[in-house]
Amino acid sequence: MATKHHVVLPGEPIDPSLIPTHPKHPLRLGPGLRHIPPEDIVPTVAGQLITNPAKNSMWIEYNSNRYIPSQNDLVLAQILRSTSDFYLCSLSPHTAPATLPHLAFEAATKKTRPQLSPGQLVYARVSLANKHMDPELECVHPSTGKADGLGPITGPGCAFDVSLGFARRLLMARSREEGGVGVLEMLGGEEGGGLAFETAVGRNGRVWVGSESARTVVIVGRALQETDRLGLGLEGQRKLVKRLVREIK
Amino acid sequence: MPRDHEPSLNEKQFVTQALQENLRLDGRELDQYRPLELRFGDQHGVAEVTLGKTKVLARATAELTVPYPDRPLDGIFTISTELSPMASPSFEVNRPTETEILLSRLLEKTVRRSGALDTESLCLVAGKQCWSVRVDVHVLSHDGNLTDAACVAVVAALRHFRRPDTSIAQGVLTVYTPAEREPVPLSWLHSPFCVTWSFFGEEGTTALLDATWLEEQVRVGSCTFSMNQHGEICQIAKLGGVPVDAVALLQCASVSLTRVKEISDLVDRRLAEDLKRRDKGGFMAELRAENDR
Repeated sequence: MATKHHVVLPGEPIDPSLIPTHPKHPLRLGPGLRHIPPEDIVPTVAGQLITNPAKNSMWIEYNSNRYIPSQNDLVLAQILRSTSDFYLCSLSPHTAPATLPHLAFEAATKKTRPQLSPGQLVYARVSLANKHMDPELECVHPSTGKADGLGPITGPGCAFDVSLGFARRLLMARSREEGGVGVLEMLGGEEGGGLAFETAVGRNGRVWVGSESARTVVIVGRALQETDRLGLGLEGQRKLVKRLVREIK
Repeated sequence: MPRDHEPSLNEKQFVTQALQENLRLDGRELDQYRPLELRFGDQHGVAEVTLGKTKVLARATAELTVPYPDRPLDGIFTISTELSPMASPSFEVNRPTETEILLSRLLEKTVRRSGALDTESLCLVAGKQCWSVRVDVHVLSHDGNLTDAACVAVVAALRHFRRPDTSIAQGVLTVYTPAEREPVPLSWLHSPFCVTWSFFGEEGTTALLDATWLEEQVRVGSCTFSMNQHGEICQIAKLGGVPVDAVALLQCASVSLTRVKEISDLVDRRLAEDLKRRDKGGFMAELRAENDR
């Protein structure tokens, strides 16, 4: 299990007693940490230091305002325009657009590919991201050829903006225990009265909520944004869900 | 100039469809404003208005200058608006966008042309010396409804502002510093406020107040009413957009009057609180001879 330590600031070297050791696995550094040979490990961002002694890894949980694409991230992109070979998509406003090839969809050939118009939302994975090139996206798994839920977003619903840290906590496998975010389960469970909706969470800070009923979309969207804005714990999220279900008709 | 960030097709469709059920994204009523906050700075004439996530700062200043030759008995009053890149990267300094031009025109007609500030009182020596009052409006954050927020900021800043006191004796003008004599408020006649309505639907049937940025991108028409709390209309601006039924516009006007009265009360209250905060103890406190221990 990962252990949480204190908050660190960029540039201050980490106390050697906090660095985990393991007889077999080498030490792995995650986002936010940089190794300065021979021994120093220095954080490059401000955030909370997390270590996982079982896998012998350490990283920093931080909340920044600008999304920097990294490989294998699931993002909610918006199509800007189409060129002959690929779509240009925006991951966050006023940054360099990402390219999404026309054929990077499930079972797509030149004749059967999906025709997407500017402004369409797409759930994609980042296939290539480094600081020298524009990022590239894909809507299909590279080896199996299956979509796994990726592709253009259809159906009634709306997209909402959340902070990057909150999006990361929503995307965790065990978001309730590790991330402290249980609001989506509460909305679909008894506190929310069993609302029926689906979500697509993008690591770039955008969440799409889809449902037949517009009221459900508004409740879920506001619940997410208020939890993020106020930094609510599980108890606070429960109260928020009950209040929203009561208020919005 | 970087292009403005457009909302996605899904969002636009959803907002229009939800409005057909009279449902807004933030759960407000159709004629409900976001929480309006008004704060004053330490210096006289600085007012900051927050309307949800929209933030506007207005600053009023005055300096001595020569009046215009064709109007020797009037002072000079100008309002300048600036949409800074702080609000959005699509705004550039010194390159006015359509939003900025429309905003400054509406403020001009509402505050300047309606005679809210008595320019004759700004004249000191006819044809030679007068006050030039200038209000700078800075938009710090843009989440819709800049007009209403900017108008409240301008009116509040002008009512909060204090200009140096002057006197004329035998044709000689003396301008007193704040240490010599307390600065005096401007000669203010009435407080006009703007109320902007946005129309949605094919025939403009759904009308709502205080649109957020997303709702502004989706709307098919808009109409701004400027009036004061006595119901005197300064201007009505409907610049194109979908044709709206005349009876509906009259209803919008009467609801606007209620809102303007609420906004007017809020501004009066904040000004009174600020006056009380600055005037600790009042006259008797200045006359006390006790030392602070």
